Amino acid sequence: MLIVGAGPCGLYGAYYAGFRGLTVAVVDSLPEAGGQITALYPEKMIFDIAGFPSVRGKDLVDNLVAQAAPFDPIYLLGEQAVAYEQLPDAALIRCASGQTVCAKAVVVTGGIGTFNPRPLPGAADWVDRGLAYIVPTYGPYADKDVVVVGGGDSAVDWALGLEPVARSVTIVHRRDDFRAHGHSVKLLRASTVTLVTPAQVVGMDGAQHVESVSVRDVKTKAVTVLPAQAVVAALGFTADITPLEAWGLDVQDRHIVVDTSMATNLPRVFAAGDITEYPGKVRLISVGFGEAATAVNNAATVIDPAAEVFPGHSTDQVAGSVA
Amino acid sequence: MTFVITATCVDVKDQSCIEECPVDCIYVGGRKLYIQPAECIDCGACEPVCPVEAIYAGRQLPEDKAVDKDDNRAFFEEVLPGRDAPLGRPGGYAKVGEIEVDTARITDFVKPPDED
Repeated sequence: MLIVGAGPCGLYGAYYAGFRGLTVAVVDSLPEAGGQITALYPEKMIFDIAGFPSVRGKDLVDNLVAQAAPFDPIYLLGEQAVAYEQLPDAALIRCASGQTVCAKAVVVTGGIGTFNPRPLPGAADWVDRGLAYIVPTYGPYADKDVVVVGGGDSAVDWALGLEPVARSVTIVHRRDDFRAHGHSVKLLRASTVTLVTPAQVVGMDGAQHVESVSVRDVKTKAVTVLPAQAVVAALGFTADITPLEAWGLDVQDRHIVVDTSMATNLPRVFAAGDITEYPGKVRLISVGFGEAATAVNNAATVIDPAAEVFPGHSTDQVAGSVA
Repeated sequence: MTFVITATCVDVKDQSCIEECPVDCIYVGGRKLYIQPAECIDCGACEPVCPVEAIYAGRQLPEDKAVDKDDNRAFFEEVLPGRDAPLGRPGGYAKVGEIEVDTARITDFVKPPDED
């Protein structure tokens, strides 16, 4: 079974797939498991998980990962599932990297869609010509004048990481205040990184590769041109459901239409969690957990038509055994 | 019920919320920002970053600000000055850019002195 989306419902689905004795892979476009919880509110307390009077977001994710761990799910993180192909007795899912996964059944727990870096307005032409949205390694920035755009943790962390490597680092942020962790901001203010605030990047210039960046002061509207051979835009993420629409799934208003067994319009493809739509839908984690169990157990009968939908009771497991 | 940007945002337009919104459903008008209620997924990421505390969950909106909820909706459902059709559901601020006008109420809005 392939689960698309490593948020809470996908992780819980991985547990159930394992409980049913299926081998399971979980693909997610983010580098870490946990979906929206990890991306948006890891430190917030959640009060509506059954049996937990309160649980911190990242603790819930850690527990879900631990619950699935005995079944050794294969995690394909940082991978975006972009295409679906129907095979005679399976579904073939292709990832943006080119990797393919052949599964007897697929459960889409894609939440609000795949996360993409928010584009720097008006800078689409500069991608791969000196503009980057993520900084996997600092090496390529050696001896360059780097302009980092943004005020969150990624922007500040990358600016600090680049400081000892690059010739110069300038951080441009639309406000005087930075949203990054207080300690990081303290380090930033004590560093050699030049802070240009409140300001916005309004243009990039250069022959082939970027050579300079135009920055406009938000208050005075004065435009300054900074030399830059590299620009890093760290403006957060936006979610996009279009890769799933491209599979041929019935998507209405960013949600996948499912029936009472959580089956979608595509053979062997089920869905669960925030991404599903049906009359009476309530978008809560608690509901998504139930849908994940419904989707996985119904999908199990697609994988093996002789299997029953009902998985048996988890209390019947021999202590310490996993299936 | 989705999140609502109240008139406290008028003439502030800080836009930190836009950087947080994972579905890009916050749009920039002439004097304030507006949340597209049908595109908002109710995640709450925008609310804590607003430097003037202009953003509320719709269900927690104080009674005296209920008009702001209607206003967020009107921005997308009514035909704004200089336009032929309502904005509707543009599918992301990045796609349409600054709108540069406001609802009639916000165009004529006088900020109370205690909110400056």
